[in-house]
Amino acid sequence: MRTCGYFLMLAAGLIVCANMPALAASDALKDGIYQVGTLKPVDSTLKVKVGEMAPDITLRAVSGGTISIKDYRGKKNVMISFVPAAWTPVCSDQWPGYNIAQEEFERFNTVLVGITEDNIPTLYAWTKTMGTLWFPVLSDFWPHGKAASAYGVLRSDGTAERAIFIIDRQGIIRYIDVHDINSRPPLEGIINELEKLNK
Amino acid sequence: MLKNLSCSSIIVLLSVTFLWAGSDPEQIQDYTKAITQVKLSVPDDPDVKAYLGIKQKSGQVMLNDIDGEIIIIEIFSIYCPYCQRHAPTANKLYQAIEEGKETRGKIKLVGIGAGNSPYEVKFFKKKYGVPFPLFDDANSAVLNSLQGIRTPTYFGIRKNGKTLSVFFTQQGPYDDAQTFLQTVLKKSGSPF
Repeated sequence: MRTCGYFLMLAAGLIVCANMPALAASDALKDGIYQVGTLKPVDSTLKVKVGEMAPDITLRAVSGGTISIKDYRGKKNVMISFVPAAWTPVCSDQWPGYNIAQEEFERFNTVLVGITEDNIPTLYAWTKTMGTLWFPVLSDFWPHGKAASAYGVLRSDGTAERAIFIIDRQGIIRYIDVHDINSRPPLEGIINELEKLNK
Repeated sequence: MLKNLSCSSIIVLLSVTFLWAGSDPEQIQDYTKAITQVKLSVPDDPDVKAYLGIKQKSGQVMLNDIDGEIIIIEIFSIYCPYCQRHAPTANKLYQAIEEGKETRGKIKLVGIGAGNSPYEVKFFKKKYGVPFPLFDDANSAVLNSLQGIRTPTYFGIRKNGKTLSVFFTQQGPYDDAQTFLQTVLKKSGSPF
């Protein structure tokens, strides 16, 4: 049953993420990307608001072990980037942009945490196509969607929204962008919000 | 150094959506039509304008307004890992063109960040010290006209007066700038 559930989740993931006309696919991914049409922009209801304490989440990391958001409290700002699914165009062309902006995140004393609803082996294979990522990638696969549910960004098909949460060092949510799943949040919007944390 | 630029293009007269298939001549021809009709915003930087030979003060120019006999276009994205890794090699291509007595001034290299905002292109340019002009595609006009294109993709375009013709396309990065330049030159049929 669990194996069957895995395949159902994987299949759901594959059909969710992309809107091909919106982005150019990196040749690094060759033909490994599954194409889907335009999707319902948002398919969940937020459970948190700006100004509230961020729900703590503890998830398995692709690099091994677990990471808890509360571990950064009092030390670093945290930006959580939920993306819908591995091996889909928009998602596959989002984190590589953040990967070349490490200095910008560090300039604002912020750690980036990437989360999807895929399992660890899938995330391992997928993120390898992006080069060496400087930030942790966490799996919200099992119990499925626990973290996405806590924030209210779990879609009805078991994938996550394309959502950004910026949490300050006190653990307070300072910015939320549940983005249209079919498009990528521009980098400047994120950097502008990180800049505000220091003001 | 050259600053990043703003760019937009007109959507070409395509009645059907097409996807890159690499070996399909019709689809390559569609991209060829699209790329030759790209419009770019006139750059502010006088060095960039001088490099491109643009005298117009504002508005938009077409690729055939760029000075030179051959224009090499790189369609890239800052979100593309290959484009990131390949950036130093692309810089070497510019260097090779500018150092060649026969190629300097005759071949112009231009990058277009498909679907990338001005901020993103500026960020990429600074991150990798890109010395040649990079144009953004804030309204995704270029991206929409090249639907399904993979990054990076290169076009070699020959200018004959105001007429443009694509004589070379390559999807995916090249290993060596000098070899790539020689390949482009050979395909162009130019004597230099």
